Amino acid sequence: MRRTALLLGVGLIAALPQLAQARPDVAPRLTIYAAASLTEVFPRIDRRSAYSFAGSNQLALQIRQGAPADVFASAAPSFTQALYRERLVEKPRTFASNALVLAVPRSNPAGLRTLFDLRSRDVKLVVGTAAVPIGAYTRQVLRRLGLSDALSKVVSEEPDVKSIVGKLALGEADAGFVYRTDVRAAGGRLRAFPIPARGQPNVRYEIAVVRASRQKAAARAWIRALTQTARARVLLRRAGFIVR
Amino acid sequence: MRRAGRAAFTTVLVLAVCVAVAFLLLPVASIFWRVGLDGLVDGLRSDVARDAFRVTLKTNAISMALILLVGTPAAYFLATRRFPGRALVVTILELPLVVPPAVAGIGLLAAFGRLGLLGEELEALGITIGFTQVAVVFAITFVASPFYVRWAIAAFEAVDKTMLDASRTLGAGPAKTFWRVALPLAGGGLGAGAAVALARGLGEFGATIMFAGSLQGVTQTVSLAIYQEFDVNLDTALAISAVLVVGSGALLLAVKALPLWTGSRSTSPSLFARSASS
Repeated sequence: MRRTALLLGVGLIAALPQLAQARPDVAPRLTIYAAASLTEVFPRIDRRSAYSFAGSNQLALQIRQGAPADVFASAAPSFTQALYRERLVEKPRTFASNALVLAVPRSNPAGLRTLFDLRSRDVKLVVGTAAVPIGAYTRQVLRRLGLSDALSKVVSEEPDVKSIVGKLALGEADAGFVYRTDVRAAGGRLRAFPIPARGQPNVRYEIAVVRASRQKAAARAWIRALTQTARARVLLRRAGFIVR
Repeated sequence: MRRAGRAAFTTVLVLAVCVAVAFLLLPVASIFWRVGLDGLVDGLRSDVARDAFRVTLKTNAISMALILLVGTPAAYFLATRRFPGRALVVTILELPLVVPPAVAGIGLLAAFGRLGLLGEELEALGITIGFTQVAVVFAITFVASPFYVRWAIAAFEAVDKTMLDASRTLGAGPAKTFWRVALPLAGGGLGAGAAVALARGLGEFGATIMFAGSLQGVTQTVSLAIYQEFDVNLDTALAISAVLVVGSGALLLAVKALPLWTGSRSTSPSLFARSASS
């Protein structure tokens, strides 16, 4: 009895490493680390892969720490390029662009009519932290349009764009800068005010194979399928991304 | 043979202790190893860290005051009275203990958020809670108060009933009995409960980021600062973490010291009984 318990214990400890690597499928599955703004569209393009969506800065950090990603898709080239310089990913390539909008809850509690109402009205504004791409882009927009004072109306700095969407969709905040695609994905819970072209930053998505991946061939094929198949391009466009 | 078996059993037990200690100590010790003394000083000098500690201390102080103020009489009532539905009331008070913090955050939003159950009423009164320190206090109070109430009920229940009766027969009213007899006798347990609740409150993360958001100097508590800084400036995150480890450790020591401290001054037989069994 005691021996069986002991054996069971030893067996459990021996099984731990296997457990850590266990995958639900028999066939190898790719693990895609992707910017939060890709949360809706990537699974639509490929249902089979495993996804981890977060701020691109957090994903880059996790990859640096040895996270088991096969592919990394970033909402700003700076993160993929930095990892490329550190020889942690293969050569990145651009696969889509996006644009920023000022989003408000459908009920528009602050009664905004244009982006420039941020100047005058008392608005509860939610933005990304300066480290996450959406936060960095937001600060660019405000600077270019001479609206940087609006940063004093910020009530919360969120770790990724979907957290901003959440605060807006709940009606907790009055306005927030998000990607155009996020408003489309929120399905009518948000309204968007466009940002004039002169304020628009160059929002470019880059994707790369992670060098530490054990499935580099499959990862490269995945990126090829994303960038070259008509279906993937149609789905990206339908979600609001700009694909050349 | 039997002696060999006993020795083997002891070896297994000792091994288990070693594994547990190593596994639980390693991550905590690694923080100090990674941060170093210079990093600690530099990290704590940053505005983010300073603001985070200020926000955390202020919101936790208010939360603890609320918890003690409401929790103590509530716990006294629940410990000394028996009434139908008492078990249900206690269970409701304990529910946040087992509810995940993310659920607490959603619940607070659903109740006090702008579109929440009381949202319109609060709006009409001109009260906004979301994104303010009030929201942080709400989140901390919600997740931490059950820890205190639970310990407080146990502490009051451990007070010898004959002491309370003696106080009453000697002419003290129920309020005076509470202040002069029950409260001092339960003091150690109450202090320990407060320390546990404070430890939970200092570490509060999930409900806060959902309900209060995160803004440096306003709603960004130390846990939120660690989360934000870990991909911006790891040293700051590590430095804040190190201070939290020290603070939590001090609280834990306080919990362990408190009952003994009052026990030695007290004449309550029930407290003697408890210290003998523990």
